[in-house]
Amino acid sequence: MNEFLEQFLLESRELVEQATGDLLGLEENPQDNDRLDSAFRAFHTLKGAAGIVDFAAMGRALHAAEDVLSRLRNGQAPVSAKLVSDSLTCLDQVVQWLDAMQETGEVPTDAEAAADAIVARFADLGKAPATPSPPAASTIWADALIEKYPEPAAAARVAIRYRPDAECFFRGDDPLALMAALPGLLVLDLASGEVWPTLDALDPFACQLVLAALSTASMEAVAAHFGGRGDEIEIKPLAGVPAELTGALSVEARRLLEAQLLLLKEPTVEGAAGRMAAAGRVAANVLRHAGRPADALRIEQVAASLDALSKAIAAVLGGAAIAEAAVSEAGAAVSTQQDATARILRVDVARIDTLVKLTGELTVAKNALGYAAALAQDGADPKALASTLKDQQALFERLINELQQSVLGIRVLPLRHVFQRFPRLVRDMAAALGKSVRLVTEGDATEADKAVVESLFEPLLHLVRNALDHGVETEQDRVKAGKPPIATIHLRGARSGEHVLIEVEDDGRGVDLARVRRVAAERGVVSAEALAAMGDAEVAELIFAPGFSTASEVTNLSGRGVGMDAVRTAVGRLGGRVTLENRPALGARMRLTLPFTLMMTRLMTVEAGGQMFGIPMEAVMETVKVAHDRIVPVGAARAFVLRNRTIPLIDLAEALGEPRPVPPKVEAKVVVVSIGAELGGLEVDRLGERIDVMLKPMDGLLSGMPGIAGTTLLGDGRVLIVLDLRELLQ
Amino acid sequence: MTVRRSADGRIVLEGACPIEDAEPLLQLLLAETECVVDWSRCDLAHAAIVQILLASGARMIGPPSGAFLRDHVDPALARERA
Repeated sequence: MNEFLEQFLLESRELVEQATGDLLGLEENPQDNDRLDSAFRAFHTLKGAAGIVDFAAMGRALHAAEDVLSRLRNGQAPVSAKLVSDSLTCLDQVVQWLDAMQETGEVPTDAEAAADAIVARFADLGKAPATPSPPAASTIWADALIEKYPEPAAAARVAIRYRPDAECFFRGDDPLALMAALPGLLVLDLASGEVWPTLDALDPFACQLVLAALSTASMEAVAAHFGGRGDEIEIKPLAGVPAELTGALSVEARRLLEAQLLLLKEPTVEGAAGRMAAAGRVAANVLRHAGRPADALRIEQVAASLDALSKAIAAVLGGAAIAEAAVSEAGAAVSTQQDATARILRVDVARIDTLVKLTGELTVAKNALGYAAALAQDGADPKALASTLKDQQALFERLINELQQSVLGIRVLPLRHVFQRFPRLVRDMAAALGKSVRLVTEGDATEADKAVVESLFEPLLHLVRNALDHGVETEQDRVKAGKPPIATIHLRGARSGEHVLIEVEDDGRGVDLARVRRVAAERGVVSAEALAAMGDAEVAELIFAPGFSTASEVTNLSGRGVGMDAVRTAVGRLGGRVTLENRPALGARMRLTLPFTLMMTRLMTVEAGGQMFGIPMEAVMETVKVAHDRIVPVGAARAFVLRNRTIPLIDLAEALGEPRPVPPKVEAKVVVVSIGAELGGLEVDRLGERIDVMLKPMDGLLSGMPGIAGTTLLGDGRVLIVLDLRELLQ
Repeated sequence: MTVRRSADGRIVLEGACPIEDAEPLLQLLLAETECVVDWSRCDLAHAAIVQILLASGARMIGPPSGAFLRDHVDPALARERA
């Protein structure tokens, strides 16, 4: 992708975010002229940017939205929820285009139809702001039209229905002449609005014709042709022409498609992505040429997944339309892929300057090291040499510390990056659930490591969803309970030492403890005895237990087969924890405590079974020596008592599958660690030192290893395996 | 006059038929029960004219000479009556 386009994508995304924020603010407070101005400017700048990269369709869609916003600014129309929704839809479309451009590095060529749909939305709004747009049911006529004229329908881009006003003849209108002048007219259909009366009862000057047509012209051209007849005219884009109605494949087309299929089947070593993209593009073009734009679109949607693409092409060759399921499946794969790819990071120039300065200092330090080496070669006094080397080591330590800080500083992002996606989501989710919710975000300037910020979205989304779905009551229930009808969900961020705290708090009904108890018992999450002994706080914590989901019926928001345990797992993977504060009838607060950075970890090294391991310092409570006679077997496991508390003991070497001779030692060295609220003891052979490391997450074959969080290199070149205590102690 | 009754009793539409022809056309059609309309020399017709033809169910002699009438309106008329 060229730099120009990269810059365009970067700026456009920022503008979309700005515009989204402004629109949502505007919806909340329609009188807020600053918001309106800001939204207008964002749309305007976006349109300009689209012009610079020659993306006419995007410019067209944005122009339509900008027009309407400009009417609002002039006070010609009121701010309505519909208008905000339509503007947001326009931005959604823009984001889709941007995503497509990010992937292909080119301006999408099939954007016209989508742009037409956006323009049509605003055309309705602009003409008749008071009347709602025609209901969805009104598209039945278009389907009937397609069915009636299958052949022209295959080539048509829009279906039109024109129901002239009965008085139109008096205005000098000739609906037929208007249709005759329609660009790209394929077929005309004439019918009566009602049953034709007998001739003697017919009023020759009252128009009761209904004219329908199919045209190859663009949505915009047709809309322009019928300009000023907002109520009488309905235009529907025909992007999704059913495949069975479209042209069959020619021999050449089949041959081309077969060639793509062969290409995809070849074992790929390198350039697989490029090959896939090329095959996808060729296949899509072939289909488009064959008059099957819907299939072409689907091919493009699956083109990022080798398997789906091969299947799709095979399906087309087999004479079938591509199944929608295959598309959505592949779509899911693509979206996760996109989530994984790092976005571009904007960095303050001052931070880069610091790095440049540090590089200079490190070069000087390196030269000094060369000097020391020369001294050693010349047989300098070992003591003096050692002291020189020590000085240099100290210098390096300082510089590397600074370097680490600077690099971490670059990776730092404000929480705004994830928070700003929520107002829109909450708005849509609340609307879907029929609840009134206000989202208040605080502390979105709080910074955290990029990796943390970027992994936060899913768990937070789940928490917010849960709050909306299960926590927040309906408006009536809230009024009955003496609460304000509009619920509030707080999303807060704050820095606390080396941790970042994030809270999701709602003022809903809180966790229903009685139900949690019942469900936990029903699903066997814990035994009945354990349940009976639990306090309220512990019961509330059960919602995080695997296999527990409080949703009695699966709603499309929360009930996706993943419970809150998924949140706990995801946050745990980031080295954080989730706690719940439940106030029955008043609301619930979820708090995520996350490390400020993922990169630097302070470790304690231990040796077990002849191998070095690292234990995260934050989990280590203390180290103790325990006499063997104080270790008592409990069933198959062992435990010991420390300050009146029974602590389970795990032999680290054994737990990691190392063979272990029975130790003849009198004392066991034990590292006491805490996982959540629980303590555990790890028996080791030797205790080592404390070190700061850059932890490298496991990838490839080792990523599935249980109990291991990552690896790092020791000073002597050995690999240190860092333990994941949570997994290990479970 | 672009609408008239010919010597052999057919109703003839000729040239460009404006909305003013609607009333006379309707009167002609109402005058008899079995009407035949010849529009083979009709170039243009106002929507009001076509509406009357649609409602009347009169037998048509064509196709009309105007391209739009021939290609689009005549087939539509035939389909609507079928």
